[in-house]
Amino acid sequence: MAQSNFDRRRINGPEESFPPVFADDEETFVKPGASRHGRAAQDIRPIFLKPGLINQANGSAYIETEKTKIACAVYGARQSRSTTYSEKGRLNVEVKFTPFSCQRRRAPMRDAEDRSIAVQIHQALLSSVRLGLLPKSTVDIFIIIIENDGIEGCVASGSIAASAALADAGIEMLGLVVSCSACVIGKEIWLDPTEDEAKQATGTLVYAGMPALGSVTSIWQTGKLTAQEVFQCMDACQERCTDIHLVVAQALLDSTPSS
Amino acid sequence: MASTSSVPDAPISTEEAALKALTFQRLHPKAFLERFLAENARPDGREPAEWRDVSVNVGSISTADGSALVRLGDTTVVCGVKAEIAEPELDSPEDGFLVPNVDLPAICSPRFRPGPPSDEAQVLSDRLNEILVATEVVSTRSLCIESGKAVWVLYIDATCINYDGNAFDATLIAMVAALQNTRLPKATFDEDTGKVVCTRKEKTPLQIGRFPLSVSFGIFDGTHVLTDPTSFEEPLLDTTFTVVVDENGGVVSVVQLGLASQDVLQKCIATAKSRCIELGKQVYAAS
Repeated sequence: MAQSNFDRRRINGPEESFPPVFADDEETFVKPGASRHGRAAQDIRPIFLKPGLINQANGSAYIETEKTKIACAVYGARQSRSTTYSEKGRLNVEVKFTPFSCQRRRAPMRDAEDRSIAVQIHQALLSSVRLGLLPKSTVDIFIIIIENDGIEGCVASGSIAASAALADAGIEMLGLVVSCSACVIGKEIWLDPTEDEAKQATGTLVYAGMPALGSVTSIWQTGKLTAQEVFQCMDACQERCTDIHLVVAQALLDSTPSS
Repeated sequence: MASTSSVPDAPISTEEAALKALTFQRLHPKAFLERFLAENARPDGREPAEWRDVSVNVGSISTADGSALVRLGDTTVVCGVKAEIAEPELDSPEDGFLVPNVDLPAICSPRFRPGPPSDEAQVLSDRLNEILVATEVVSTRSLCIESGKAVWVLYIDATCINYDGNAFDATLIAMVAALQNTRLPKATFDEDTGKVVCTRKEKTPLQIGRFPLSVSFGIFDGTHVLTDPTSFEEPLLDTTFTVVVDENGGVVSVVQLGLASQDVLQKCIATAKSRCIELGKQVYAAS
């Protein structure tokens, strides 16, 4: 990794550097039945959502769930840069981690995790946006992860923020997309796992859907789960998404100037 | 609007008027700004020599060793410091590294595209690097763990979340405030294993040598000096000044891009000094 990371377009540090090693590293083991810092198994972290913080964008939203902090902006619908004619609009999702967002420093352009998260959020949103109404156009969704506490949570929060930002931009949708993550630890199902919890889990699942239409837009499951457990996770997430939908709708209502 | 004055104006709703003003702003940005300045005001409601409010929030990012969020009007910059350990250069065995980088991602303005750093971001990073090195905000000597063996590397990464002009001033505040907020764990070099071991129990703040602050001005139409320009005003300016002053009023750096008479520059430097003393108390006192 050493030689290849010289980048003329950035200020470069030494060729190699390593995160500090701690002698007194406290192991944060989580066990089934253990407390989750005051959370019950089916509790999610409180959501703070604020649409419209980025005034340069057509629509934007900032979401914070305890440590996870994500900003999202929507630009468009604007003219597609590709010259080929397309009857349907294009939805473009780009996710970026700030270098200081994770436990280890995330040097720019080192891995493909941001790409994979972008695909998941794209999938969650795609079926909700009425792209048929936007020929020849592109809707750009840019997401910046300022602080990350669990990738599953980032995907879920990112989808929520993106959907809120789309609504803030006035882009026509069939419904608001909300999302929730779950993991299985032992025999229990824990919703909205943190990074430490997700590491201990046998499997995780991210659910996205439009509660207003009662439909599911995307399911992303990884790890070893029985079909039974997957369905249990989905049910738990679906139930929680109804609550999240309320929060998002209220935040959007609060941000619209009452006229 | 005066542009349609020949036709008697039908009464229009406020919404229509706002839309008309917006169209005028897009099509004739220069005339738009001229009309505001003729009334001694700017489109965002400020007077030409008025500043935007600055707010600083430090330490809100737990994954970083130090962090700051700065809002300068609507311009928002987050900066995080990550400390890592590296071997020093052979010719300077006791010097640590400061690696400042600015990112202007596509999220912050429609002007930027996703991808590698734009020219603007590269210039910004380079100028900030110069300032941080020139002022010795953190002396590289103080980052030494064991001479010739191990030193701290401070990666100072700033990301602009909302670009409404004058990113340089905002980023400098964010970087210095994040450094001021940084706590390094106590590190000891083990002779036998040749490794550095840290402890979480003891954390020490960095020794901050100087507190630089930057103030930017622009000249519009040869006569109007606008302080702290917004993203709408920036492309219309003929000349821009950036004056960096430390907490004692010592001038660290002056950059003038474009034509201006000498007394304008002197006036700007004098304004910058008085502004920085007042602002420095507010932004760097917080932590």
